[in-house]
Amino acid sequence: MTFDAIGIAGSGLTAHRRWLDALSDNIANINTATPTDGDAFRQRYIAVQSDSDGGGVRVVGAEYGSGEGRLVHEPTHPLADADGYVRYPDIDLGEQMGHLIMAQRGYQANAAVVDRAKTTYEAALQIGRR
Amino acid sequence: MDRPRQPSTETAFVFDSVTTTALTSALDGLSQRQRAIADNISNINTSGYRAKVVAFEQALAASVARGDGDVTAAVSESRAATRLNGNNVDLDTETLSNIDTVLRYQFASQAVGGTFSSVQTALRTS
Repeated sequence: MTFDAIGIAGSGLTAHRRWLDALSDNIANINTATPTDGDAFRQRYIAVQSDSDGGGVRVVGAEYGSGEGRLVHEPTHPLADADGYVRYPDIDLGEQMGHLIMAQRGYQANAAVVDRAKTTYEAALQIGRR
Repeated sequence: MDRPRQPSTETAFVFDSVTTTALTSALDGLSQRQRAIADNISNINTSGYRAKVVAFEQALAASVARGDGDVTAAVSESRAATRLNGNNVDLDTETLSNIDTVLRYQFASQAVGGTFSSVQTALRTS
Protein backbone atom coordinates (compact mmCIF):
# COMPACT_ATOMS: atom_id res chain seq x y z
CA MET A 1 0.00 0.00 0.00
CA THR A 2 1.20 3.44 -0.85
CA PHE A 3 0.14 5.24 2.30
CA ASP A 4 1.37 2.59 4.76
CA ALA A 5 2.00 4.74 7.82
CA ILE A 6 -1.65 5.83 8.00
CA GLY A 7 -2.82 2.20 7.92
CA ILE A 8 -0.27 1.14 10.53
CA ALA A 9 -1.33 3.92 12.91
CA GLY A 10 -4.93 2.98 12.08
CA SER A 11 -4.27 -0.55 13.37
CA GLY A 12 -3.09 1.05 16.62
CA LEU A 13 -6.29 3.12 16.77
CA THR A 14 -8.38 -0.03 16.29
CA ALA A 15 -6.52 -2.01 18.96
CA HIS A 16 -6.79 0.79 21.51
CA ARG A 17 -10.45 1.40 20.73
CA ARG A 18 -11.19 -2.30 21.24
CA TRP A 19 -9.36 -2.08 24.57
CA LEU A 20 -11.41 1.00 25.54
CA ASP A 21 -14.60 -0.90 24.58
CA ALA A 22 -13.62 -3.86 26.78
CA LEU A 23 -12.71 -1.60 29.70
CA SER A 24 -15.94 0.37 29.54
CA ASP A 25 -17.87 -2.91 29.37
CA ASN A 26 -16.01 -4.16 32.46
CA ILE A 27 -16.69 -0.95 34.37
CA ALA A 28 -20.33 -0.90 33.27
CA ASN A 29 -20.78 -4.39 34.73
CA ILE A 30 -18.86 -3.83 37.94
CA ASN A 31 -22.08 -4.09 40.00
CA THR A 32 -23.82 -6.75 37.93
CA ALA A 33 -25.18 -9.35 40.35
CA THR A 34 -25.75 -12.94 39.17
CA PRO A 35 -27.23 -15.99 40.87
CA THR A 36 -24.72 -18.10 42.82
CA ASP A 37 -25.29 -21.20 40.66
CA GLY A 38 -23.71 -19.44 37.64
CA ASP A 39 -20.56 -17.47 36.81
CA ALA A 40 -20.15 -13.86 37.81
CA PHE A 41 -19.58 -11.31 35.02
CA ARG A 42 -16.13 -12.10 33.66
CA GLN A 43 -13.93 -9.13 32.87
CA ARG A 44 -12.66 -8.97 29.30
CA TYR A 45 -9.05 -8.40 28.28
CA ILE A 46 -7.97 -7.74 24.69
CA ALA A 47 -5.13 -9.90 23.37
CA VAL A 48 -2.91 -8.12 20.83
CA GLN A 49 0.09 -9.13 18.75
CA SER A 50 2.47 -7.04 16.68
CA ASP A 51 2.24 -7.76 12.96
CA SER A 52 5.34 -9.69 11.85
CA ASP A 53 5.68 -7.65 8.64
CA GLY A 54 5.83 -4.33 10.45
CA GLY A 55 2.17 -3.66 9.68
CA GLY A 56 1.25 -2.44 13.14
CA VAL A 57 -0.76 -4.30 15.74
CA ARG A 58 -3.50 -6.91 15.46
CA VAL A 59 -6.23 -7.82 17.93
CA VAL A 60 -5.98 -11.62 18.11
CA GLY A 61 -8.88 -12.19 20.48
CA ALA A 62 -10.23 -11.64 23.95
CA GLU A 63 -9.28 -13.26 27.25
CA TYR A 64 -11.72 -13.50 30.10
CA GLY A 65 -11.04 -13.19 33.82
CA SER A 66 -12.30 -15.53 36.51
CA GLY A 67 -16.05 -16.05 36.83
CA GLU A 68 -15.75 -16.86 40.51
CA GLY A 69 -16.34 -13.29 41.69
CA ARG A 70 -17.28 -12.73 45.31
CA LEU A 71 -20.35 -13.76 47.25
CA VAL A 72 -22.34 -11.01 48.91
CA HIS A 73 -25.08 -11.57 51.44
CA GLU A 74 -28.17 -9.76 50.12
CA PRO A 75 -31.24 -11.74 51.17
CA THR A 76 -33.65 -9.20 49.67
CA HIS A 77 -32.05 -9.44 46.21
CA PRO A 78 -34.41 -11.16 43.73
CA LEU A 79 -31.52 -13.35 42.49
CA ALA A 80 -30.39 -14.40 45.99
CA ASP A 81 -30.05 -18.15 46.65
CA ALA A 82 -31.62 -20.02 49.59
CA ASP A 83 -28.89 -18.73 51.94
CA GLY A 84 -29.38 -15.12 50.75
CA TYR A 85 -26.20 -14.82 48.64
CA VAL A 86 -25.62 -13.32 45.17
CA ARG A 87 -22.45 -13.28 43.10
CA TYR A 88 -20.71 -10.03 42.15
CA PRO A 89 -17.78 -9.78 39.71
CA ASP A 90 -14.36 -9.34 41.31
CA ILE A 91 -13.27 -6.33 39.22
CA ASP A 92 -10.76 -3.82 40.60
CA LEU A 93 -12.04 -0.38 39.62
CA GLY A 94 -8.63 1.25 40.21
CA GLU A 95 -6.97 -1.19 37.81
CA GLN A 96 -9.69 -0.60 35.19
CA MET A 97 -9.34 3.18 35.48
CA GLY A 98 -5.55 2.92 35.16
CA HIS A 99 -5.90 0.82 32.02
CA LEU A 100 -8.52 3.26 30.74
CA ILE A 101 -5.98 6.09 30.88
CA MET A 102 -3.32 3.92 29.17
CA ALA A 103 -5.76 2.98 26.40
CA GLN A 104 -6.85 6.59 25.96
CA ARG A 105 -3.27 7.88 25.75
CA GLY A 106 -2.37 5.10 23.31
CA TYR A 107 -5.32 6.05 21.14
CA GLN A 108 -4.31 9.73 21.19
CA ALA A 109 -0.69 8.88 20.30
CA ASN A 110 -1.85 6.87 17.28
CA ALA A 111 -4.24 9.62 16.19
CA ALA A 112 -1.30 12.06 16.25
CA VAL A 113 0.74 9.67 14.08
CA VAL A 114 -2.08 9.56 11.49
CA ASP A 115 -2.01 13.35 11.37
CA ARG A 116 1.78 13.51 10.92
CA ALA A 117 1.77 10.73 8.31
CA LYS A 118 -0.78 12.77 6.37
CA THR A 119 1.54 15.80 6.44
CA THR A 120 4.38 13.62 5.11
CA TYR A 121 2.35 12.22 2.23
CA GLU A 122 1.08 15.70 1.36
CA ALA A 123 4.71 16.79 0.98
CA ALA A 124 5.33 13.85 -1.35
CA LEU A 125 2.30 14.78 -3.46
CA GLN A 126 3.70 18.31 -3.92
CA ILE A 127 6.81 17.05 -5.75
CA GLY A 128 6.79 18.33 -9.32
CA ARG A 129 4.06 20.91 -8.69
CA ARG A 130 4.66 24.46 -9.85
CA MET B 1 33.23 23.90 -35.80
CA ASP B 2 32.27 20.60 -34.23
CA ARG B 3 32.73 20.23 -30.51
CA PRO B 4 33.82 16.79 -29.32
CA ARG B 5 31.02 14.89 -27.64
CA GLN B 6 31.64 14.16 -24.02
CA PRO B 7 31.31 10.57 -22.85
CA SER B 8 27.91 9.93 -21.30
CA THR B 9 29.41 8.85 -17.95
CA GLU B 10 30.71 12.35 -17.31
CA THR B 11 27.48 14.10 -18.17
CA ALA B 12 25.11 12.28 -15.86
CA PHE B 13 21.57 13.31 -16.68
CA VAL B 14 19.80 15.22 -13.91
CA PHE B 15 17.66 12.22 -12.95
CA ASP B 16 20.77 10.05 -12.44
CA SER B 17 22.85 12.74 -10.73
CA VAL B 18 24.24 12.20 -7.24
CA THR B 19 21.92 14.89 -5.91
CA THR B 20 18.73 13.28 -7.23
CA THR B 21 19.85 9.77 -6.28
CA ALA B 22 20.80 10.89 -2.77
CA LEU B 23 17.53 12.77 -2.31
CA THR B 24 15.56 9.74 -3.50
CA SER B 25 17.45 7.52 -1.05
CA ALA B 26 16.74 10.04 1.71
CA LEU B 27 13.00 10.10 0.86
CA ASP B 28 12.92 6.28 0.84
CA GLY B 29 14.74 6.08 4.17
CA LEU B 30 12.56 8.74 5.77
CA SER B 31 9.30 7.14 4.64
CA GLN B 32 10.57 3.79 5.94
CA ARG B 33 11.34 5.47 9.27
CA GLN B 34 7.87 6.99 9.27
CA ARG B 35 6.39 3.49 8.88
CA ALA B 36 8.63 2.11 11.65
CA ILE B 37 7.51 4.90 14.01
CA ALA B 38 3.85 4.21 13.17
CA ASP B 39 4.51 0.52 13.87
CA ASN B 40 6.25 1.34 17.18
CA ILE B 41 3.50 3.65 18.41
CA SER B 42 0.71 1.28 17.35
CA ASN B 43 2.46 -1.37 19.48
CA ILE B 44 3.00 0.92 22.47
CA ASN B 45 0.98 -1.41 24.72
CA THR B 46 1.92 -4.75 23.09
CA SER B 47 3.75 -7.06 25.49
CA GLY B 48 7.22 -8.12 24.36
CA TYR B 49 7.38 -5.68 21.44
CA ARG B 50 10.80 -4.16 20.70
CA ALA B 51 10.98 -0.76 19.03
CA LYS B 52 12.37 -0.65 15.48
CA VAL B 53 15.06 1.85 14.51
CA VAL B 54 15.73 2.92 10.90
CA ALA B 55 19.23 4.20 10.10
CA PHE B 56 20.49 5.50 6.76
CA GLU B 57 22.04 8.97 7.28
CA GLN B 58 25.62 7.84 7.93
CA ALA B 59 25.56 5.36 5.07
CA LEU B 60 24.09 8.04 2.79
CA ALA B 61 26.77 10.59 3.74
CA ALA B 62 29.50 8.02 3.03
CA SER B 63 27.87 7.05 -0.26
CA VAL B 64 27.58 10.69 -1.40
CA ALA B 65 31.26 11.18 -0.53
CA ARG B 66 32.06 8.28 -2.90
CA GLY B 67 29.97 9.95 -5.62
CA ASP B 68 27.14 7.42 -5.53
CA GLY B 69 24.24 8.37 -3.24
CA ASP B 70 22.24 5.15 -3.56
CA VAL B 71 21.68 3.52 -0.16
CA THR B 72 19.11 1.24 1.45
CA ALA B 73 17.99 2.00 4.99
CA ALA B 74 18.88 -0.52 7.71
CA VAL B 75 16.21 -1.57 10.22
CA SER B 76 17.30 -2.82 13.65
CA GLU B 77 15.71 -3.42 17.04
CA SER B 78 16.17 -0.81 19.74
CA ARG B 79 18.42 -1.84 22.64
CA ALA B 80 16.69 0.52 25.06
CA ALA B 81 15.66 -0.87 28.45
CA THR B 82 12.32 -2.67 28.46
CA ARG B 83 9.37 -2.08 30.74
CA LEU B 84 7.86 -4.84 32.89
CA ASN B 85 5.86 -6.19 29.93
CA GLY B 86 8.98 -6.56 27.77
CA ASN B 87 8.11 -3.53 25.63
CA ASN B 88 10.68 -0.78 25.05
CA VAL B 89 8.78 1.80 22.96
CA ASP B 90 9.46 5.28 24.36
CA LEU B 91 6.58 7.54 23.34
CA ASP B 92 8.64 10.74 23.81
CA THR B 93 11.46 9.54 21.55
CA GLU B 94 9.05 8.23 18.94
CA THR B 95 6.98 11.43 18.89
CA LEU B 96 10.06 13.64 18.51
CA SER B 97 11.46 11.36 15.83
CA ASN B 98 8.07 11.41 14.08
CA ILE B 99 7.99 15.22 13.93
CA ASP B 100 11.67 15.36 12.92
CA THR B 101 11.00 12.87 10.11
CA VAL B 102 8.01 14.87 8.82
CA LEU B 103 10.15 18.02 8.59
CA ARG B 104 13.08 16.22 6.97
CA TYR B 105 10.70 14.64 4.47
CA GLN B 106 9.23 18.03 3.59
CA PHE B 107 12.76 19.42 3.21
CA ALA B 108 13.91 16.56 0.96
CA SER B 109 10.76 16.60 -1.17
CA GLN B 110 11.09 20.36 -1.69
CA ALA B 111 14.69 19.82 -2.76
CA VAL B 112 13.59 17.15 -5.28
CA GLY B 113 10.90 19.52 -6.53
CA GLY B 114 13.55 22.25 -6.87
CA THR B 115 15.78 19.96 -8.95
CA PHE B 116 12.92 19.14 -11.29
CA SER B 117 11.80 22.76 -11.60
CA SER B 118 15.30 23.72 -12.78
CA VAL B 119 14.95 21.07 -15.50
CA GLN B 120 11.60 22.60 -16.45
CA THR B 121 13.22 26.04 -16.61
CA ALA B 122 15.95 24.68 -18.87
CA LEU B 123 13.34 23.08 -21.14
CA ARG B 124 11.38 26.33 -21.45
CA THR B 125 14.43 28.46 -22.40
CA SER B 126 15.39 26.20 -25.32
